[in-house]
Amino acid sequence: MASSHSDSAKMEQIITEFFAKSLHIILESRSPCISSRNFSGEHIVSSPSSSSSSSSSVRPRDKWFNLALRECPEALENLDFWHQSNLEPMVVDVVLVKRVINWDPANFYPKAELFRNLSSKEVYSNCWNSDQEELGNGRSEKIIERWIVQYEARKAKDAGKGSKRSSSNVLSSIYKKSILLLRSLYLTVRLLPAYKIFRDLNLTGQIRSFSLAHRVSSFVEPFTRREEAEMQRFGFAPVDTSSGRLCLSVLYRSSLSDVSSEASTPMSPQLIPDYVGSPLADPLKRFPSLPVSRGSPSSLPFSRRHSWSFDQYRASPPSMTFSPSPTHSEPYASASNPSSSRFPPPGLPPHPPEVSHAHKYNANFDEYYPSPTFSPSPSPSPPIYVPGSRLSGALLRSESAPVNIPATKFLNSPTLFKNQNLPPSPPLKGTRYGPSMADKSMYPSRDSATVDKMSFVGRDDIGRPSGLKIPSESSANISYSRSSCRSFPDDFDESEYTCAFDVDEDDVTDPGSRADLFDKRRHVHDPLQSGSFMPIRKSQGAAVGALVDMLKKAPPLHQDVSNLATASQGSGSETWSNTFHEYCQTPKSISAQDGTSSVASSAFLVSKTTADALEELKGYKEMKNLLLSQGGTSRSRSVTNHAAAVESADEGTVKF
Amino acid sequence: MNCEVCNLKELEVEHYEIREVLRCVLHTIIFHRALGLVRPKEIDLELFEITYVQCGDPEVEKKIEEKIEQFIGWVEKHPNKKSQICLSFYEVKNKHGSWFSKQIEQLHWEHWYINLNVAQQPKVQSVKSHNSKVVDTGENNLEDRSIRRAALEASLRDVLFQIIRFVNDKKEHVPPIPNREGVISFPYEIILPSSSDSAFGMDMIKRMLQTGHPTMLS
Repeated sequence: MASSHSDSAKMEQIITEFFAKSLHIILESRSPCISSRNFSGEHIVSSPSSSSSSSSSVRPRDKWFNLALRECPEALENLDFWHQSNLEPMVVDVVLVKRVINWDPANFYPKAELFRNLSSKEVYSNCWNSDQEELGNGRSEKIIERWIVQYEARKAKDAGKGSKRSSSNVLSSIYKKSILLLRSLYLTVRLLPAYKIFRDLNLTGQIRSFSLAHRVSSFVEPFTRREEAEMQRFGFAPVDTSSGRLCLSVLYRSSLSDVSSEASTPMSPQLIPDYVGSPLADPLKRFPSLPVSRGSPSSLPFSRRHSWSFDQYRASPPSMTFSPSPTHSEPYASASNPSSSRFPPPGLPPHPPEVSHAHKYNANFDEYYPSPTFSPSPSPSPPIYVPGSRLSGALLRSESAPVNIPATKFLNSPTLFKNQNLPPSPPLKGTRYGPSMADKSMYPSRDSATVDKMSFVGRDDIGRPSGLKIPSESSANISYSRSSCRSFPDDFDESEYTCAFDVDEDDVTDPGSRADLFDKRRHVHDPLQSGSFMPIRKSQGAAVGALVDMLKKAPPLHQDVSNLATASQGSGSETWSNTFHEYCQTPKSISAQDGTSSVASSAFLVSKTTADALEELKGYKEMKNLLLSQGGTSRSRSVTNHAAAVESADEGTVKF
Repeated sequence: MNCEVCNLKELEVEHYEIREVLRCVLHTIIFHRALGLVRPKEIDLELFEITYVQCGDPEVEKKIEEKIEQFIGWVEKHPNKKSQICLSFYEVKNKHGSWFSKQIEQLHWEHWYINLNVAQQPKVQSVKSHNSKVVDTGENNLEDRSIRRAALEASLRDVLFQIIRFVNDKKEHVPPIPNREGVISFPYEIILPSSSDSAFGMDMIKRMLQTGHPTMLS
């Protein structure tokens, strides 16, 4: 009886240690914060060493099941926390945690540490979600493995069977089988797909967008049918004991290829200053050599971008961060070196949903004109080939027309950055406003006035930084046209622009300068010199060109008045001309008195025209009255009338 | 005690892959049978994305390396032949013979048959007059090689899982763990194909007869 009692106690101990050992084996190869497989490196005294088969010091724990394992603090902590009765199953979930790329440098670096620390803490609290929320960023979790270790107790009446064998033999047999099972477990954990992820996380030490975590519990939510369908089961043969049986099985996802492919392209921790969709994003920078190799350099980052579709939330290397659209715009972040090819402008976090667009867009790049399937999205789609130079050229030409777009409008609506201001021509939808802003950031030396003037067309770039090459003319047009229209929907009717662009395509001036500006092989240094751009696409280029032309043609207010005065010289009587001259003089004072901003150089072209027209109308009325009065009276009264006219003009002056 | 036999799935290997494949399989089997205190040693294969485990005993490692070298020598002499390596575990029983001799009986309780089909590299077709054809052939060879490599990796995984399943399913026949120091609990031997095929077959029959268990003839 005593022996049986001790046997049952031993059995109990075997079972308990079996749980502990299996947990140790699992976590040793699934918890990335364990010391890497460094056989030659530092070792705890009793930790396994590759070359020596015999070690003087063996921890008691190592002796169990004749399997000496490396230190695994997680296993010990989890076990201490979890320790339940042997009748409770032990479920170990191995979770693949993917971080949504939300570029916040403050959060990014600590994350790697937090993940490690959380893995054990979460087990304690068994509250995964609360810790997840603490990080503040979206994380997606996927259980990629579920290990279930349990001891199924037999009914009492069945326990007596097999007792004929000596208990010691039984115990040793059970122990031997447990050893074999754990050997198999040790091998199996290294053959399953999750092991590769563990190795990548453990050995490279680079920051990834994913991590492995685990949780140990007794009760878990069973998988849905769908989830279970995606998983495979591997069950180890149970070890029968006198009172039950030890069972160990695993449900695992057989295909982790998406993560594996990511793991194969690790990225070093870098600040990604730009993010897709931000005005600073300058997709053109990515393709400095695009003119030379038509799209192969473009394909290079995009092919890499392919590995991080938004589903994977993988952080992309900085060179690839052009494509994701920004969640917000920081147009004036410090500029990165513009001359480096494909170096993203600073301050733009990649936005995962945009990556897919980028990918799609990239696929079409060689065709240049994006397919209509690349539909515009409210959130910015990646500015892959925004031709900054064209934009800059067009914008700079607008300098001649002092049209000032209120900067507030621009700043208060960051989404406008994203929405291209172009008429909804399908090919343009992929482009974005971003590059222009990127250029703006690249050249902070440009005065704000210029920036403002530039901005009315949609805050496009000021100029392409040297060293950047425009992939193609049409791309510039595309982005420009997109940006120009949409930024001020209140002021400009899209249809207006469409029509205007279509009509005015031929009016785009200076083909020579156009050629200079939009020669793909030339760096755009001085946008001022290159006034216009050559629209490749009628709809886009024409839109841009026409707009620029309009701006160019729009004379300053004072010039208008003087022009009118000049025009009126050759017509009418002296009185008329004098009166008109007075009229010409008066608008200044009139407008000052009126308070209308028509004369103000900062007024919109439209408002200026309206105010000016009003002035003219009044002037014409005066003249009409004067003429009528003159005509109706005799010459003798002309002097009087003249005086009256003058008086009336004066009155008019006063009126105005 | 039964003698269990496990015929592993045949692996089609190229000459340069023999070492890694054999190391992987042999060490995996032995790790399951080295029931003494073990400090596992993980080894990453270079040719495949597989990590296997050694028992960490240098003697074992040395013995396996020797056998692999012998096998490679045999393969070079007998190209394009299917070969079989037998890893057997046995118990040593002292059979008291006549007073002038002691006979040590080896009671095999487990046989593992590793089946290899060493494929010779297909010779590139003689250079055609057109250069492009040669290039194409080369490319095709590379493609074929990568396809073969992938297939071999999958097969190797299958073999490893086959070993694991066999070890799990059949435990009763494993002798009790002897109470002794050392990693290796049970003696084993690796039998390579001999110089002649017929002799190889005869060797196997002899061994089977020696153990004296009818079940193994299945």
